[in-house]
Amino acid sequence: MAAGAGAAAGGRSFSFKVVLLGEGCVGKTSLVLRYCENKFNDKHITTLQASFLTKKLNIGGKRVNLAIWDTAGQERFHALGPIYYRDSNGAILVYDITDEDSFQKVKNWVKELRKMLGNEICLCIVGNKIDLEKERHVSVQEAEMYAESVGAKHYHTSAKQNKGIEELFLDLCKRMIETAQVDERARGNGSSQSGTARRGVQIIDDEPQVQSSGGCCSSG
Amino acid sequence: MNLKSERRGIHVDQSELLCKKGCGYYGNPAWQGFCSKCWREEYHKARQKQIQEDWELAERLQREEEEAYASSQSTQGAQSLTFSKFEEKKTNEKTRKVTTVKKFFTASSRAGAKKALAGKLKEIQEAKAPSPSIHRQASIETDRVSKEFIEFIRTYQKPGQDIYKQCKLFLDTMSHKRELSIEEQSECAQDFYQNVADRLQTRWKVPPEKVEKAMDEVEKYIMTRQYKYVFCPETTDDEKKDLAVQKRIRALHWVTPQMLCVPVSEEIPEVSDMVVKAITDIIEMDSKRVPRDKLACITKCSKHIFNAIKITKNEPASADDFLPTLIYIVLKGNPPRLQSNIQYITRFCNPSRLMTGEDGYYFTNLCCAVAFIEKLDAQSLNLSQEDFDRFMTGQTSPKKQESDSFSPDVCLGVKQMCKSLDLLSQLNERQERIVSEAKKLEKDLIDWTDGITKEVEDIVEKYPLEIKAKSQALAAIDSENVENDKLPPPLQPQVYAG
Repeated sequence: MAAGAGAAAGGRSFSFKVVLLGEGCVGKTSLVLRYCENKFNDKHITTLQASFLTKKLNIGGKRVNLAIWDTAGQERFHALGPIYYRDSNGAILVYDITDEDSFQKVKNWVKELRKMLGNEICLCIVGNKIDLEKERHVSVQEAEMYAESVGAKHYHTSAKQNKGIEELFLDLCKRMIETAQVDERARGNGSSQSGTARRGVQIIDDEPQVQSSGGCCSSG
Repeated sequence: MNLKSERRGIHVDQSELLCKKGCGYYGNPAWQGFCSKCWREEYHKARQKQIQEDWELAERLQREEEEAYASSQSTQGAQSLTFSKFEEKKTNEKTRKVTTVKKFFTASSRAGAKKALAGKLKEIQEAKAPSPSIHRQASIETDRVSKEFIEFIRTYQKPGQDIYKQCKLFLDTMSHKRELSIEEQSECAQDFYQNVADRLQTRWKVPPEKVEKAMDEVEKYIMTRQYKYVFCPETTDDEKKDLAVQKRIRALHWVTPQMLCVPVSEEIPEVSDMVVKAITDIIEMDSKRVPRDKLACITKCSKHIFNAIKITKNEPASADDFLPTLIYIVLKGNPPRLQSNIQYITRFCNPSRLMTGEDGYYFTNLCCAVAFIEKLDAQSLNLSQEDFDRFMTGQTSPKKQESDSFSPDVCLGVKQMCKSLDLLSQLNERQERIVSEAKKLEKDLIDWTDGITKEVEDIVEKYPLEIKAKSQALAAIDSENVENDKLPPPLQPQVYAG
């Protein structure tokens, strides 16, 4: 069962949810399409959509089901972030190395994610479009230092040239397995007590009134 | 029957008119040639078997409800209390339905309920019309689902039996827990899913794929039964929220795809087809009872959206495209009881499906869409506050490109047709222009050849070609140069006397 942290009771197979965050034109979609379909800007892409993709991996004998959730990057949808990244095991924060603003956005997301999900979530900060090194506006040093300061890992990728993407996802999976195993051990064999982060999505912004079992007080 | 009456028209015989059974009374073609009395007998016999079956069904239903009924005896007081509340609160059809169902099983005694049910069955059959009774349909569905579930669970043998027992137990416990808050009931259901899944996996060692399948069936089985109690329960303000969202969407009727930057062009007939299908799917969600079926509706809707985007943009849709389009679909469709449905799925869906699967992703997007619609303001549509206020209060509505020539109540098809006609006439015009241009070109070409011919002739006339004899020249090739005669005579050898 893929409840809770996404680890199966047996511990041999894992299901992870990874959210993909990043501003409009940083190449989120290209990144996952390159990873899942090994195609870039291809007119012959067969998938209908690139917003929800899955990938099965086998890492050191452990089966991993990766579900990659793309999120809408437009500013107007920023407030919806928490609905998307609830219960995710990992987040990939993409910025465009030629665009200072997109890096600033990443910083905002990191702050939010840490606030909402604590250290449970594995963060990857990804500088995409390294094929445009000449036009770089975000310095490598600055980005890497920032990543380290927030406990995230930094990666350089190019979806166009297929650089660094395989490594990024592989590394992320390894880290998520580690986190899940630590979590499992901490919970004492896992299976009996997974009632914590199980509940799905709730969009009500006010707390649901928890009633006593008396039951007949009016709900207004 | 038809044939018979036709024949009678030609060959009217006394015996033909009489009852087929030969009782002496006249028969009636409407009763297949029987008299009323014999027909009733005959009909009764034919239906007896079916009634018997239905009776058995009723009995079984009764048995199932028996336990629940016995237990609810103790809480009768509390229940009647909720009843009075029911009466006050019934604001929609659904509540009325629930009331009748409850009344049916609590107010009448066991035997009475059976009789009532059987009576109802008879009534339906004799009326020979599909019953409008929603309760009846609901119980048919419940029954069908039970049958399917039992059949399915049989394939699992021992673990199946165990699971079936667990489900029964759970339903029984839940019938005691109707008074709990919906959150607590949801908690129970989630625990139940978890337990069953664990049990299948650890105790019975069922392979994961089979566990998943079994869990789907378990969800279907228990939620079909629980639906009427836990969908939009009156202890929550789900209904109020439904109305609020509905009103909100209605108030936002003026939002155009352009404002939301929807990457879908409804000008293309295929795309607008997809949009209509997506809207139908999202509206259909409300009619399903099992959370998983509701999710399936959302997924179907999403697939249609992706198709629409793919046709318009010719590349796979990213979330940046998908979410605005989904918002637009929700705004256009205004699906009934949106909040209740979302809450119901959240509370009672098997969590594994909601968390990681594709269905879960689309559901999350729907939640996002609703949240966005609730909080939508001028900024999120790239409008000025004044414009937004004016649109919201209905003082003006944003200009749509097509609104100049169509009144707003003209249906989409007509608009599409008018547009097509327009395009066709433009095309026609252009074609005519091409034909006339082509003719002109042809004429020009002919003129040109004529002109050239004439010019050539003129020139030939002006400078006639004269061929002069070249006899001298020919002879002179190998002889001395022509200018030879101008030269001094060749030197003659002279002999000098030495």
